[in-house]
Amino acid sequence: MRVLRRLLSFPKTNVERTAIVLGCLILLLALVGAFLVPFDPMKIDFRAKLQAPSMLHWLGTDGSGRDVLSRLLYGARLTLASTFAVIIVVVIIGCTIGIASAFVGGAVDNMLMRLADIWLGFPPLILALGFASALGASLEAAIWALIFSWWPNYARLSRMVTADILSQKFIASADALGVPTHRKVLHYVIPNAMDVMLIQIALDISAVMLAISGLSFIGVGAQIPAPEWGAMIADGRSYVSNGWWIVLAPGIAIFITAVSFNVIGDMLRRELDPTSRRR
Amino acid sequence: MASLAPPTTDRPLLEIRDVSVALRTGNRTMVAGVSLAVRPREVFGIVGESGSGKTLLTRTLLGLQDDAYVAGGSVRFNGQDLPVNGYANKARKLLGHSIGFVPQDPFSSLNPSMRIGKQITEAIYLAKGWPMGAERTREAAIGLMAEVGIPEPALAFNQFPDQFSGGMRQRMVFAIALAQDPKLLVADEPTTALDAITQRRVIELILDRSRKHDLAVILISHNLELLRQSVGRIAVLYGGQLLNIVPSGDIGQSTIHPYTEALFDCIPTREKTLADIRSIPGEPVGAGFGLKGCAFASRCPYVVTACRTTDLPQNAGTASIFSACILGRGVH
Amino acid sequence: MRYVGQRILFSILSLCVLLFITFLLSHVVSGDPAIVAAGPNAGADKIAAVRQEMGLDRPLLVQFWIYCSNILHGDLGTSWFTRQPIASDIIRELPPSLELVFVAMVINLAVSLPLGLLTARYAGTTFDDVVRLVVMAGAGLPIFWLAIILQQVVAGQWRLLPTAGRLGFENRDFTGATGFTLLDSLMQGRFDVFADALAHLVLPAFALTLLFTAVGVRITRTAMMGEFRKDYVVLARAKGASEGRIMVRHVFANGATPALTVFGMQFGWMLGATVLVEEIFGRPGIGRYAVKAVTQSDIHAVVAVVFVVGLVFLISNLVVDIALFLLTPRKHAGA
Repeated sequence: MRVLRRLLSFPKTNVERTAIVLGCLILLLALVGAFLVPFDPMKIDFRAKLQAPSMLHWLGTDGSGRDVLSRLLYGARLTLASTFAVIIVVVIIGCTIGIASAFVGGAVDNMLMRLADIWLGFPPLILALGFASALGASLEAAIWALIFSWWPNYARLSRMVTADILSQKFIASADALGVPTHRKVLHYVIPNAMDVMLIQIALDISAVMLAISGLSFIGVGAQIPAPEWGAMIADGRSYVSNGWWIVLAPGIAIFITAVSFNVIGDMLRRELDPTSRRR
Repeated sequence: MASLAPPTTDRPLLEIRDVSVALRTGNRTMVAGVSLAVRPREVFGIVGESGSGKTLLTRTLLGLQDDAYVAGGSVRFNGQDLPVNGYANKARKLLGHSIGFVPQDPFSSLNPSMRIGKQITEAIYLAKGWPMGAERTREAAIGLMAEVGIPEPALAFNQFPDQFSGGMRQRMVFAIALAQDPKLLVADEPTTALDAITQRRVIELILDRSRKHDLAVILISHNLELLRQSVGRIAVLYGGQLLNIVPSGDIGQSTIHPYTEALFDCIPTREKTLADIRSIPGEPVGAGFGLKGCAFASRCPYVVTACRTTDLPQNAGTASIFSACILGRGVH
Repeated sequence: MRYVGQRILFSILSLCVLLFITFLLSHVVSGDPAIVAAGPNAGADKIAAVRQEMGLDRPLLVQFWIYCSNILHGDLGTSWFTRQPIASDIIRELPPSLELVFVAMVINLAVSLPLGLLTARYAGTTFDDVVRLVVMAGAGLPIFWLAIILQQVVAGQWRLLPTAGRLGFENRDFTGATGFTLLDSLMQGRFDVFADALAHLVLPAFALTLLFTAVGVRITRTAMMGEFRKDYVVLARAKGASEGRIMVRHVFANGATPALTVFGMQFGWMLGATVLVEEIFGRPGIGRYAVKAVTQSDIHAVVAVVFVVGLVFLISNLVVDIALFLLTPRKHAGA
């Protein structure tokens, strides 16, 4: 109850309230949207191709006669599930490396963090492009590719938080009491790292989603008949002059999702991060 | 060295009556009902604990406080009325030629990426334009630097602030303020960041300049002893209220406001034993504490019920000596 | 000067990491690089020959050494879809991309720096809120989608700017010494070609930069906010300096350094993002080259692009950092 009340006190402007409503709505649609779709998102019907939005096809049909709205709703699951898959794995891998690095310390710590620094600097999109094409283009390849280029973010962040906690007094007393390392991680590091991680995750959702749809658009992610949003845009490109809605709908979907999560991330940073009182 | 008798014949240079200052967010009144007058050539002190409103009041009066504004009262500077509406912009117009200001921290008050000389010539340029050409301006700046006691000013002219100590930097800030030939110099805790000897030197520099160039000075400090040795009159601020204006020579000798007395009791001197040094009981209230009655009532040893219910007396006539104590303490 | 030495050392270290990453991509992640290098239609004996030739039967560490020395000799392998050495492909494709990124960067700086400075000065006002909202929206626009929409609307519907390509039909035979059309046309005094090339650059550069500009405004704002809180701003105001003078002469001069470091990094990131733009606008460049290589499964060409983009990223960072160090007129105490 207290947590909920605290969460409800976060949004300060109507923009933030709208973003939260939209974000929840998008997540909900991604979860249950597939059961609501009026048409089979993959069913080709050339007689119905390139129909403009109508009462029957709310967002029109694409070049193969597939219902755009149905594809969009299916795509919500595909796009967001891939995004969360990337983020979950990256958080696990990154934090493991980061926390371990902070506990080990010394030269290993130094080297790992230097590596993360350098790795992090390289253009993530092109790194992921190389990785995905090396694996052979597919949505799974794109997911692994983004994990490959995104992990240093969380390694660095979790190392920073852990090192900060390890330097504090209560850890010294925990040491004196002989608290084992795994308990220190569970009871001190992870609870304290939660806020910072949450902010970073919220801000990364849109970045990862933009990257996944970008990779799919280029052709190294989801392959074209799949209703992933980036692939839908790539597919719709050939019809853009006589079927503008095919490209417009997934683009707007990406846009709304990305902006909503950006606003939410920004709000979380303001509310949770004590170092960023910006006004 | 303090001139004990305040000059009383001149018309005031700065006269503020019943001035109150409020914050822009929430319109909270932080300082209320302050009236005082500073005369030409006078060295005037303002003392108060941190949070008393002394910095807020002066910075707002100069138009340098973005998040606060003059909410009421009247301000006159050098015979010119400064209306409360759009006050900050009017006050800002006086900066740079009529009023000079020295901020608190010499380590951050100089632009780190601009050469010292450029910062001084910029001040001259902003006050007077380029009436004498770049070369003469440069010479004037170097002259000023020599005057405030910077060794090898011609060399320092081309150097950057981080090559100097805090005391040297504070002298440069003074050079900047003095470059504009102001009538009034406002220095906000100019020596707090410096060691005791440097403090002394910087203060002497200010007093010397005041004597030679008919400069009025407002010196703001939390250090009553420092002010007692340097200025003629001291205004005492507490909780956003003006409690006392006393000649510095009177402190510790005649009846003064209970708060000023308490402040004085905190100063260690040679005559006092450790037992004589008393801290004021209770917690200090911040500016804008509520403004009903006397802000010091909660800690005052002489407090009576009326202290908390009666409106604080105002220095309506901008008298040179004033006490806000309703019990008559501090009034000769 | 110790700073410069350290900075160069860090770049060399970064280069090693880059080589390690690209080696990982081309030799480990991609499965058998011999199959890749021989092409999809090669027989078993061809693959065996390639394996021997590339030294792939030797330990990984030796392979890494061979890989590094090849690259340092300028040998990035052969692309089997262009049937050219990849290095020469890239040398041909790099100038148009750099030109695009350069123009995008100019737009980026011209928008980010003033907006960041102004929103920092007027933080908390309606102006700040509106800019923040616009910036937030810009950060959520997919680059490739924006490129398609701009192409359709501005070029297709309104016919304000050319739809695609690098130069108009009438200038299709234009060549120059450097490969940078803007530069070549100026050197030859062909202002018509210059205008034509610039017109072709506007939309792709705008699409490319929007996301980066959104970040740039925020970075600049944060950097400048910190400066506005410092006492030297108060002293400048006390001097009677105007707000404009304070912003330009005092705050900007101090706050620009951290912001410009980020812009240096953005240069490399933008070069990477050309893969999302060039193909749409039918512009030659390494972005389109990479996309083509991807569709042809030419992994060596793709990895070579990864390497070159990474290299440009390292060089641009190094140049920006050293330039800022030399230009910032302040003693770096202790450095």
